[in-house]
Amino acid sequence: MVHQYKNNGYNIILDVNSGAIHVVDDVVYDVVALWEKSDKSCIFEKLSDKYDKKELEEAIEEVAALEAREELFTKDEYQDYVMEFKNRPTVVKALCLHIAHDCNLACRYCFAEEGEYHGKRALMSFEVGKAALDFLIANSGSRRNLEVDFFGGEPTLNFQVVKDLVAYGREQEKIHNKNFRFTLTTNGVLLNEEIMEFANREMANVVLSIDGRKEVNDKMRPFRNGTGSYDLIVPKFQKFADSRNQTNYYVRGTFTHHNLDFSKDVLHLADLGFKQVSVEPVVAQETDDYAIRKEDVPVILEEYDKLAAEMADRHQRGEDFTFFHFMIDLEGGPCVAKRLSGCGSGTEYLAVTPWGDLYPCHQFVGKEEFCMGNVTDGVTRTDIREQFKSCNVYAKEKCRECFARFYCSGGCAANSYNFHGDIHSAYEIGCELQKKRVECAIMLKAAEAERSKER
Amino acid sequence: MKHVKTLNTKRLQNTVKKGGCCQTSCQCTVGNQTCEQSK
Repeated sequence: MVHQYKNNGYNIILDVNSGAIHVVDDVVYDVVALWEKSDKSCIFEKLSDKYDKKELEEAIEEVAALEAREELFTKDEYQDYVMEFKNRPTVVKALCLHIAHDCNLACRYCFAEEGEYHGKRALMSFEVGKAALDFLIANSGSRRNLEVDFFGGEPTLNFQVVKDLVAYGREQEKIHNKNFRFTLTTNGVLLNEEIMEFANREMANVVLSIDGRKEVNDKMRPFRNGTGSYDLIVPKFQKFADSRNQTNYYVRGTFTHHNLDFSKDVLHLADLGFKQVSVEPVVAQETDDYAIRKEDVPVILEEYDKLAAEMADRHQRGEDFTFFHFMIDLEGGPCVAKRLSGCGSGTEYLAVTPWGDLYPCHQFVGKEEFCMGNVTDGVTRTDIREQFKSCNVYAKEKCRECFARFYCSGGCAANSYNFHGDIHSAYEIGCELQKKRVECAIMLKAAEAERSKER
Repeated sequence: MKHVKTLNTKRLQNTVKKGGCCQTSCQCTVGNQTCEQSK
């Protein structure tokens, strides 16, 4: 299977099953488009009025050579292998600790009902957090690197417990030969010197929530009294990012139906000096006024193209920044087994509520039918774990023939459940956006390669 | 090759035997994840 497309002046051919990526001229591009449907004489006939004979002969020869080297039209022979891989016993690698089901903002798109948590505000106690870390150590097998994300709500509302749990983790990692990688997500409202200093010492990564331009951010991320948060958080985030040498963090925003021109928000964040940026489509119910609609998709795809072209220009001017969804590793990426077996939610990754219940991931918290157990008794609903374990690219009909499957891994189970009531389906709007992002990411690699050749 | 420039040398079929031993991922994404073995 090949996927060929044109983007920002490049003719790109992705050989899906080998991962080989070729930048080609017009003649090869046209030959490849006909290759599987026509024999060589037929290709000659169809293209002879467009290209001269010598050019066509060379192109056909090169395409045949790539096919012989299994770098074009490579067959998919991974299905049995991935099924076997998925049947292996798994260990828990990461926990998302909902350290605070409470918030000092009232973001309109928050999955926690504008931070109200359906009237059940709660802070995680040290005892519950400690039991969660003990659960992770006990269920991680021989794996050494373990990840713990402090999430919410707003984790800084319960910061003493965060600090105490990090201290407990550091003590336990020596005893059990483990290495904890702690991370923190914050809205920045309570960010101060003490928190920054602690995070710079202990947090492998921090996520700083901001949506972009002031009017966009303040419309969706207000305080409870309705005033915006932009003016308060921007200087703090700038200082925080600089104090981390512009690495190991993301400013992370959400775009909605109300700012489909989100490339301006991405560039605004870059112009504020942030080097690590992520702005992502909102996950919402179809009935929400800010939800992304089907008719928004063409506008969003164009916006991604615009952003990618601007990033290519900025790269040339030495004004690079990283956009999370355009990151792609063409040389050191993971193996086929990982690429096709999904994100790990419900098996290798679990979310923990303030009172210690276990869920497949933070997006499922609050959906009682997905409660898998608790940190004291462990996973008692092994049937839910098995459901998530069977979630892979080949289990999803829509993914089997998709060119992006090795870069997307079958999409988000929570999105699929929200839109189809089934974790084994796929959220179509998300798929369209993901495919475009993969195309843009590859184009940026092509532009990078071209420039390094020029130097 | 005169008409083709190949951007990468990694081939997925070569990871079948050596692979299957990484972090969980979320939309790092699988696309930008680095294999623990290749570090």
